[in-house]
Amino acid sequence: MRETRTIDVGEGAAIPSKSDWGLFNAWAISFVGALAAIIYLVCFEPTPYKRLLFYLADGVVITFQVTFMSIISACCIGLVVGMGRVSKNKAINLVASTYVEIIRGIPLLVQLFYIYYALGRFLNVHDLAAAVIAMSVCYGAYMGEVFRAGITAIDKGQTEAARSLGFNGKQTMFLVILPQAWRTILPPVGNEFIALLKDTSLVSILAVSDLLRRGREFSSETFLYFETYTLVALVYLVITLLLSKGVSIMEARLSHYVRH
Amino acid sequence: MSATSTPIVEIRNVHKSFGALKALNNVSLSMNLGEKVVIIGPSGSGKSTLLRSINKLETVDSGTIIVDGHNIMDPNTNINKLRMELGMVFQSFNLFPHKTVLENLTLAPIKLKGMPKDEANSIALKLLDKVGIKEKAHVYPSKLSGGQQQRVAIARALAMSPKIMLFDEPTSALDPEMIGEVLDVMVTLAREGMTMAVVTHEMGFAREVADRVVFMDHGTIIEQGTPAHFFQSPEHERTKLFLSQIL
Repeated sequence: MRETRTIDVGEGAAIPSKSDWGLFNAWAISFVGALAAIIYLVCFEPTPYKRLLFYLADGVVITFQVTFMSIISACCIGLVVGMGRVSKNKAINLVASTYVEIIRGIPLLVQLFYIYYALGRFLNVHDLAAAVIAMSVCYGAYMGEVFRAGITAIDKGQTEAARSLGFNGKQTMFLVILPQAWRTILPPVGNEFIALLKDTSLVSILAVSDLLRRGREFSSETFLYFETYTLVALVYLVITLLLSKGVSIMEARLSHYVRH
Repeated sequence: MSATSTPIVEIRNVHKSFGALKALNNVSLSMNLGEKVVIIGPSGSGKSTLLRSINKLETVDSGTIIVDGHNIMDPNTNINKLRMELGMVFQSFNLFPHKTVLENLTLAPIKLKGMPKDEANSIALKLLDKVGIKEKAHVYPSKLSGGQQQRVAIARALAMSPKIMLFDEPTSALDPEMIGEVLDVMVTLAREGMTMAVVTHEMGFAREVADRVVFMDHGTIIEQGTPAHFFQSPEHERTKLFLSQIL
């Protein structure tokens, strides 16, 4: 069976390429526009926007925490799953593949509820921790597929060269394959990061006071639904665009050894 | 000396199939220390498979392969350790693109032999000098021409001080004007007494360097002998036909 050497890019904001880093591009217009809108609303209509912004700040911190911790652990799970999916050991391969199949077959929201309440019932886990675990378990499977694609995209000759020098399978993976796979993996992984960040809004349904939940709390007290969700959307947009910029900078740095 | 009389590579009755295709059909071949064996034959004749089976990049289905006294078919043989004795050069160079030329050479000695970095660097620079590419030590492989990359690949294999060098069509992916620079390095290496097994289509190289030329077709060794025998008075019809096509 021949693997195709392409990595498909999933959902999430488009990562700007270096060539459209000019002033007038989709990223700059969206980012500057969103930022300007927030500043305008807070400065010229301080009630309710100024109070609302301060109210949402706590939620932004929680959203960052959930995102950051979930990204770290999803990457670890993804790396293990990805290596498991390319493993020649049939048992390991089967376990990793089954994990991916199950996770990808259940909607994230259902998984979140399930893991959250399962963890709550059998283990006394903190709300935030449960949310992070649920997000990581889910995104670990998606990340695993990205890692698998990245690993299989590396030319077979690289493995052969490393093995012929005397490196074992593990050394080959960590010294030769993964350092190269990073570059191909980064754009889709970056998209997963961004998708993950946006999907953390789902944890607002659990008892986690993230950005969206803070917004819901505010609006249900004040009935200012339109104002609240306008600002919530703008704040998400700014954060997401910043993350996508960060990923594109990292991508540019990592490709230093390629000709051009 | 006994070292020269006992074969360093001994392949006995080896079989290998890829599905219905028989890549190696009862092949036996031995090589002595210091010997240069050139394997030629039409594409699909099994010559690359034979070469790659010596360091177990291909696992043969049956038969025995003994390298430097170790049976590589034995599951107790540490193949990684044995591969450190076997330098391999590929058709497609396979340099590590994320490492500089120097790092390509020093990675294995540092990580596998625990060689201090300074020592590995100085050995690497000497080898790069030897293959005539010392000034490129700190660039990445993507900045090099094919011929330069292949010379780096040869130096990378030599950095592990192997007992045997295996060359799998080292010039087949090169532009014609770059073939010479790579062959020159290989000739130098042969003159220094390196044990070499070379799969190639370069008949000039075979004639000049080989102690023995092996002709393969359809997974079997048809004929082998000295270059003089081989190019002037081949016995088999198939060898004659092949030579008439290629020369």
